[in-house]
Amino acid sequence: MILRLAFGSLMARALTVSITVLAISLSIALFLGVEKIRTSAKASFTDTISGTDLIVGARSGSVQLLLYSIFRIGNATNNITWASFQDIAAQQNVDWIVPVSLGDSHKQFRVMGTTNEFFKRYKYRSKSNLKLQDGAFITDLFDAVIGADVATELGYQIGDPIIIAHGLASFSKHEDQPFRIAGILKKTSTPVDRTIIVSLEAIEAIHVDWKSGAKIPGQSTPNDILRKMDLKPHAITAALIGTKSRLQVFGLQRFINEYPKEPLLAILPGVALQELWQIVGVAESALIAISAMVVVTALIGMMAMVFSSLNERRREMAIFRAVGAKPSLILGMLVAEATFVTAIGAILGCALLYLGLFASQSAIDQAFGLWVPINAPTKDEALLIFSVIIAGAFISLVPAIRAYRMSVSDGMIVNV
Amino acid sequence: MKTILIFGITVITSNPLLAESTRQLESHEHGVGQLEVAIEGQKIAIDLHAPGADIVGFEYVAESSKDRKAVDTAITILGKPLDLFLISSDAKCSVMQAAAKLESDDEHDEHDEHDEHDEHDEHDEHDEHQEKSAHTEFHASYILNCMNIAAMTEIKFAYFDLFPNAKELEVQMISDVGAFTFEIEREEPTLDLIGKL
Repeated sequence: MILRLAFGSLMARALTVSITVLAISLSIALFLGVEKIRTSAKASFTDTISGTDLIVGARSGSVQLLLYSIFRIGNATNNITWASFQDIAAQQNVDWIVPVSLGDSHKQFRVMGTTNEFFKRYKYRSKSNLKLQDGAFITDLFDAVIGADVATELGYQIGDPIIIAHGLASFSKHEDQPFRIAGILKKTSTPVDRTIIVSLEAIEAIHVDWKSGAKIPGQSTPNDILRKMDLKPHAITAALIGTKSRLQVFGLQRFINEYPKEPLLAILPGVALQELWQIVGVAESALIAISAMVVVTALIGMMAMVFSSLNERRREMAIFRAVGAKPSLILGMLVAEATFVTAIGAILGCALLYLGLFASQSAIDQAFGLWVPINAPTKDEALLIFSVIIAGAFISLVPAIRAYRMSVSDGMIVNV
Repeated sequence: MKTILIFGITVITSNPLLAESTRQLESHEHGVGQLEVAIEGQKIAIDLHAPGADIVGFEYVAESSKDRKAVDTAITILGKPLDLFLISSDAKCSVMQAAAKLESDDEHDEHDEHDEHDEHDEHDEHDEHQEKSAHTEFHASYILNCMNIAAMTEIKFAYFDLFPNAKELEVQMISDVGAFTFEIEREEPTLDLIGKL
């Protein structure tokens, strides 16, 4: 009875009601959308590296080490000597160790020297391996493997030559030793997409004719001589480590952190990511707060609509009462109307969100490297929608109680 | 003066770390201990490092019988991990290995682990430095075997009840799911493990 009355009364005021429904659905779509982007941003962030037990670098902060070694943001405070690297590699609980050497660049992208083992060991998004889109991994001294973004933004193909600049944003280039693009990696939505990967020996080789950060004038070692040289690196920037048993991770970490010959730092990537996210997390709460305010505003808008409709409906209420409806029926009807409006708004909002996601999913991935998965609302999201509907019902109680009190006295008096 | 100088030279030259002029000092915060938990299969490896001040309330070398007794009692308590860290009995955990010891500076030098203080070079009162500058740390390591590790949904830290001077434990944990960090404080001595194993 109440439901039928409520429905009928809403249909009679279709225009105002539909605007309110629209406001609520937009606010809910925004709220859920922010929530989705937030969770997927966090997930893609923590998915940047997996399968690595420890990252080793010069002693600095754990967040800083993570930023420069994995995200290629900022620079290392110091390098690690090759001797220390080998000392660590010789530890019996080290299963694998991949050296990483940073510092040179090509256009806006960073160049990373490493070994072919990097492609096997670096894992992202719950243990996915790097895969080639085209070409092969590093086989020659002057081979380079480039990330997907490097290839698309610079329009590079397999076999193209590239010249690496000395340092970052620098004008001096390693022009004598052009690299050849050997492989293009598939898109990963990690910083690897924006990296040019060469061999550790190549990094040494291009610096053979350099001293104290400048090229020695007139000196240029031909590439065939370079190939025969002993290109053992002197220093690296960081190293990724996998241990034989997880139980030994902390022991190895302590060994490295207390390594007496060189101040080193070993971090657990997951822990450092968590620390970094705590810093970024402030913006996250701000986003949630803003979108929650939008929902609250929409609900208050609905309350205003119910209030103003009370004026139009004074006569209607009075007639209800006159034909024998109890005041509780009036109250019930108004609350049912509001709940109905919010529920429809919520459903429409979800529909809007999923439509939007379908339309823009690949665009978001392309533009921001953020993969927003399209999946059914999680338990938390469902709970959230439900609580918005409940909040709608509660908010409508305010005008409903007013109507409950006034319905007879108010409506029976003839206002001219 | 001469004897002090000779003593100083002996200390410096006899210490291989100082001979390489390495000076490193680990951070040491009273009230805060470190706990490392590594979980693989049914095995849990736990390492606890806690300042002497947290465990026995002092960090000087125990000489009086009362202090020695306090250290001995502490080591006995630290030897029983399942009394310190309460795990649901459904997890069916048993202790495979447990070892606890007090690490003083002397031991560190012998172990060639690391040098916790660099006062050697800053002043030459070497004969006094042990009493003056020593920070001591209790180190306990355990290996547990849990037949039904899935039933381990939380760890309650009775550690804080047993050691009233301890305020906080910085926990680093690594499991199948990934690595996590937590700060467990005396006010809320529970570590929630749901979704982290």
